[in-house]
Amino acid sequence: MERFLLKNIESPGSADIDEYLRVGGYASLKKAFGMEPADIIAEVKAAGLRGRGGAGFPTGMKWDFASRDPKFPKYLICNADEGEPGTFKDRPILEKNPHLLIEGMVISAYALKSERGYIYLRGEYPYAKAVLEKAIAEAYGKGFLGPDITGSGFGFDLSVHQGAGAYICGEETALIDSIEGRRGQPRIKPPFPVNVGAWGMPTVVNNVETLANIPLIVSMGAEKYSAIGNPECPGPKLFSVSCCVERPGVYELPMGITLREIIYEHAGGIRGGRELKAVIPGGISTPVLTPEGLDCPMDFVNLPKRGSMLGSGAVMVFDDTVCLVKVCWRAMRFFEHESCGKCTPCREGTGWMRNILERIENGFGRDGDIELLQDIALSITGKTFCPLGDGAAGVVLGFIRNFSEEFRYHIANKECMVNEGA
Amino acid sequence: MIKVTIDGREIELEHPVTVLEAAKQAGIAIPTLCYFEGLTPFGGCRLCLVEVEKLPKLQTSCTLMTADGMVVRTETDQIRAARRSMLEFLLINHPLDCPYCDKAGECELQDLVARYGPEAGRFAEGKRRHPESFDDPIIVRNMERCVLCTRCVRMCNDLQGSYSISVTGRGSHSFVEPFSGGRYDCEYCGNCLTVCPVGAIMSRLHRHSYRPWFVEKETETVCGFCGVGCSMVLQMRENSIIRAIPRRGIGFNEGLLCVRGRFGYEYVEGGEELTTPLMKVDGELRQVSWEDAVSFVVKRLREIRDEFGGGAVGAIASGRCTNEDNYMLQKLVRFILGSNNIDSAARNYYAPAELYLERIFGQGITANLISGIANSDGVFVAGGDPTAINPILGLQVRSVWRSGGRVIVLGVPGGLKRFIPYELTPVPYSEEIVLSAIVGRLLEDKPLRGENAALEAKLRSLRIPSDDELGATGVSSEDIVRVAGDLSSMTTPVVVIGPDVVQRKRASKSLFLLGAIAYLTNARIFLLAERPNYQGLLDMGCLPELLPGGRPVELEMFRHKTEEALGMKAPEEKGLNLFEMIEAAAAGRLKALYVMGENPLFNIPDSAKVEKALENLDLLVVQDVHLTETARIADVVLPATAWPEKEGTFTNLERRLQRVRKARRGKMASYGRDDWKILADIAERLGMTKTYHRVEDVWEEIMHVSALHTGLGYEEIAGGSALWPYYGEPLRGMEGDFPVEGLDELPEVTVPEKPYLMIDRPLYHSGTFSRRSKALLGIHPGPSLVISPLLAERHGLSDGDKARISNGRGVLELKVKLDGDIPDNQVFLANTFEGFGAMGLIGFGTDSVLGSIYIDDNTVRVEKVLR
Repeated sequence: MERFLLKNIESPGSADIDEYLRVGGYASLKKAFGMEPADIIAEVKAAGLRGRGGAGFPTGMKWDFASRDPKFPKYLICNADEGEPGTFKDRPILEKNPHLLIEGMVISAYALKSERGYIYLRGEYPYAKAVLEKAIAEAYGKGFLGPDITGSGFGFDLSVHQGAGAYICGEETALIDSIEGRRGQPRIKPPFPVNVGAWGMPTVVNNVETLANIPLIVSMGAEKYSAIGNPECPGPKLFSVSCCVERPGVYELPMGITLREIIYEHAGGIRGGRELKAVIPGGISTPVLTPEGLDCPMDFVNLPKRGSMLGSGAVMVFDDTVCLVKVCWRAMRFFEHESCGKCTPCREGTGWMRNILERIENGFGRDGDIELLQDIALSITGKTFCPLGDGAAGVVLGFIRNFSEEFRYHIANKECMVNEGA
Repeated sequence: MIKVTIDGREIELEHPVTVLEAAKQAGIAIPTLCYFEGLTPFGGCRLCLVEVEKLPKLQTSCTLMTADGMVVRTETDQIRAARRSMLEFLLINHPLDCPYCDKAGECELQDLVARYGPEAGRFAEGKRRHPESFDDPIIVRNMERCVLCTRCVRMCNDLQGSYSISVTGRGSHSFVEPFSGGRYDCEYCGNCLTVCPVGAIMSRLHRHSYRPWFVEKETETVCGFCGVGCSMVLQMRENSIIRAIPRRGIGFNEGLLCVRGRFGYEYVEGGEELTTPLMKVDGELRQVSWEDAVSFVVKRLREIRDEFGGGAVGAIASGRCTNEDNYMLQKLVRFILGSNNIDSAARNYYAPAELYLERIFGQGITANLISGIANSDGVFVAGGDPTAINPILGLQVRSVWRSGGRVIVLGVPGGLKRFIPYELTPVPYSEEIVLSAIVGRLLEDKPLRGENAALEAKLRSLRIPSDDELGATGVSSEDIVRVAGDLSSMTTPVVVIGPDVVQRKRASKSLFLLGAIAYLTNARIFLLAERPNYQGLLDMGCLPELLPGGRPVELEMFRHKTEEALGMKAPEEKGLNLFEMIEAAAAGRLKALYVMGENPLFNIPDSAKVEKALENLDLLVVQDVHLTETARIADVVLPATAWPEKEGTFTNLERRLQRVRKARRGKMASYGRDDWKILADIAERLGMTKTYHRVEDVWEEIMHVSALHTGLGYEEIAGGSALWPYYGEPLRGMEGDFPVEGLDELPEVTVPEKPYLMIDRPLYHSGTFSRRSKALLGIHPGPSLVISPLLAERHGLSDGDKARISNGRGVLELKVKLDGDIPDNQVFLANTFEGFGAMGLIGFGTDSVLGSIYIDDNTVRVEKVLR
């Protein structure tokens, strides 16, 4: 299919403003300046764009809330804290097509009447930082950022704020805390950031990919845009495919494509022609699927029906050489390490679950461990401050639900069911 | 109106509150851990989860706001299971060292687990380890016990404003620590101890020496350290104070205390208290019986009065003693011995400042509610750091900043440094010029309202400094515009006045200018009070010119009323004030001085001069808790009870009367006596016919004699709302005209080569009692000369080096402490440690208008002491 977000990224110098302009960049911005801010918001609403960070909240609605708040200044923050294991879909935009993001942010800022924006960039993306900062400097140089953008009378300043490595800072309120110079921890909601965000002001936090869709919606119009992919949640979607496939990488495909198509048509199928055992569809915090789920359309509507989520669209594929107890343990090690410590169940529960999983993996599992794990996970579910803990519990519950025999085998035989690395 | 249903009970609410608060109003208790009344909600512990109809997940009731029609359940199987799970989670990393933990018995986690389970934990892995920290002198941190409720962090940031601790690390390896580890860089208020639900932050005082259930008696009283008058509870065991703790719901301090109040109480049982009366025999103080001591005092007082007249006798009252004590001293001196020579160390600044402001604005002008400061939208502070002198008042000033108001400080900002948008530090002794400029600028914005003709007339003839004259102060005209602009924009401002502006030449003008700022901006005035009962001793008539209740002694009509009420006569002419008494003693005109609870040898400038004067007396009686510098040269020393051994009342700086209650027996129960009792005994032997049996009898007489205190009994005072103007009528309105010195003059600003020695008023020591408190000494162990890094460099000094300061009055050698926040032409020394008092090297003069002292000739030579 035609690529919109990753258009032109193969050409050398795709991150340069001249190259971006050569292929029609910043034309959407010009068109947007001819529109009323409210009309842009209406257009985004009509396009049915849903946030690409993982939660899938309708972007137009978020903008509407923020723009209705009478307080000024308003802030626009791009969430580029791409920290979830398996997720690297924003990286090509950040590194190869930064001007698309900048253009998207300027249009969004114009629609929201925001004069100040930040790109909250993952601390582990130093190359992207250099690219973004160069691109921002170029945009200032050409007058696409600054006090009076291309003579429109609209001004917008943008800068990169680098995170310090905490996964929790991808949660929008923790991200705002971090930008304000505080310890990044989720805030109580309500109030939501659209009303009380950075420095107490209305703040819109959107994912990189979400903002990169904005120039597209403006140039195509809502009607044409919403014809891409699943009409219930349309648009192009970036999938980062990793683990046991022949061609791991980022694929721009229409929303609603099936897992089978992604894995076998685009990512080259299972590595070495082996057998698919499990697939995580949307990043480590989305529950695992068995091969039976291969024909499920990848979107915000259909995956929840199968007990999982689209999340960030990070597809992690495991073949029959992978020990899923180990995957689960590794995942829990991540959650324990990244739990911010604010709420009891996540802070203590993730570590407890990791302890048990580590024991099982190392051949010290006990009878009752599986039931205990499930009980801990259920004690966490629905009781944590933010979705991090729910995600951690969901992973354990998902693996046990679908692959309990592997756990039982591990406990009974004190070794892996699979021959790793075969 | 919002209607919610909680556990089947319908609750109507005027305003939306959290579900937790709504439940509380209905008497439904929801268990909590991270919630603490007065702190911002956190929502972390997840214990207060409740079911709300139509919401899919359990909700934290501490963060969820009520909405009309909400139906909430707080006790269901699902909720009980969730609570049990949360407690099981909390116990994963909580050491089960309850038998060893001082918190056991009053530990919220222990109580919650006892109530909600689980009976046994299923966690069979290793717990986290973190070493206990003894970095701090009075606080011990055991972060293995921490449940990360962050109540301490929120307390420290949001209420105390100290910003000293934060959560460091992540996940279950989060610990509450000073950001850079090690010792707390904090104010040791100990308010984190109050809020810690477990044994993670504990006091080192009495560590492992008692259990909470060993407390035999609790006494609700008022702190004896400063003029704020915080309520506190003294927990006692075997006649010893175990803890001084605040309690929400008693007093206006809302559960907050400062370091002195919480940890400073130990001075009363340090072992150095006087146990028997002492008398000078052959030039040496010897232990004698009460009978011998008292009869000697009576005999000598009678002889001196008979030979030289009442005017040869004087007395110094005490801001540490109760109203009843001070009243009785006043009665003895004035009505029995026939002398109006009575004054106190309040003369140093508090008394003259208040009396002068009352001349301008009427009685009670400084009687404003401390708790109201937080509601104000701006504060102007001059002459002292409220966060050190009156810490709990200082917190109110900080909270003005927090709610978006503006705090302006004239001078070194000290503990308000983080809370001010800009500094305003003129060179020493040029404050008057800056204040004149601010008033001049304000007059351009604020019309004169015609309410105070005398003040407005003076404002019209005020000389406003030119830009050049202003420039010499180091403050620019832009600064003045900004300050005046900020003051103008405040709608409910507060002016806080501290000691330093009063102890300056032409103090009347500075006070007049501060009064003018308050007048023009419609501000409420607060006068910082270093002692708990400065206000009370003034109201009790411990002044040479005023009788109890503030009646002027020289106005016959008023004097007559008092005399009639008492059936006794007072001298017609006003007496000598503190400094005049010192002069008179030096000149041989004053023969006898009765000192109660005061240490003039240490607390009045130019100690050598004071000592000479006191040595010249025929009779020096000192009645005190310890053998002070003054007591050592006395003829008779009478041991008195200390603050926690007293019954009576204090009047705080907002003129609130509060009950002081006896928590412990004096150590020398068979000998030691209350100040008022000693005085009443002497008065009786000198002919007083009335006998007092209890302290209530004294108060009843005060109610009868003082027009202010009419009809105000102990019971009502104990209720906590004995607020100005009580039932009395203010006696004096505006008096028409008042004098101001040098309205049309401006002082010449000179910057001497040698630095000025300024009186430091540190948070940890407020006088000579605190130097006997082990806890306070642990934090601030000895005298130090606070000096700016630049000045230190100039003299080759670095932190901890020994410096010698000297001038014509004396020489001191002491350690230096570098402080980047103080100006380069000033050095600071507290008047606390024996042999190292700042007052000794400070010269003073007397203000012709206020009768107060001003500091003069206080430059010192600074040198490094070579080892």
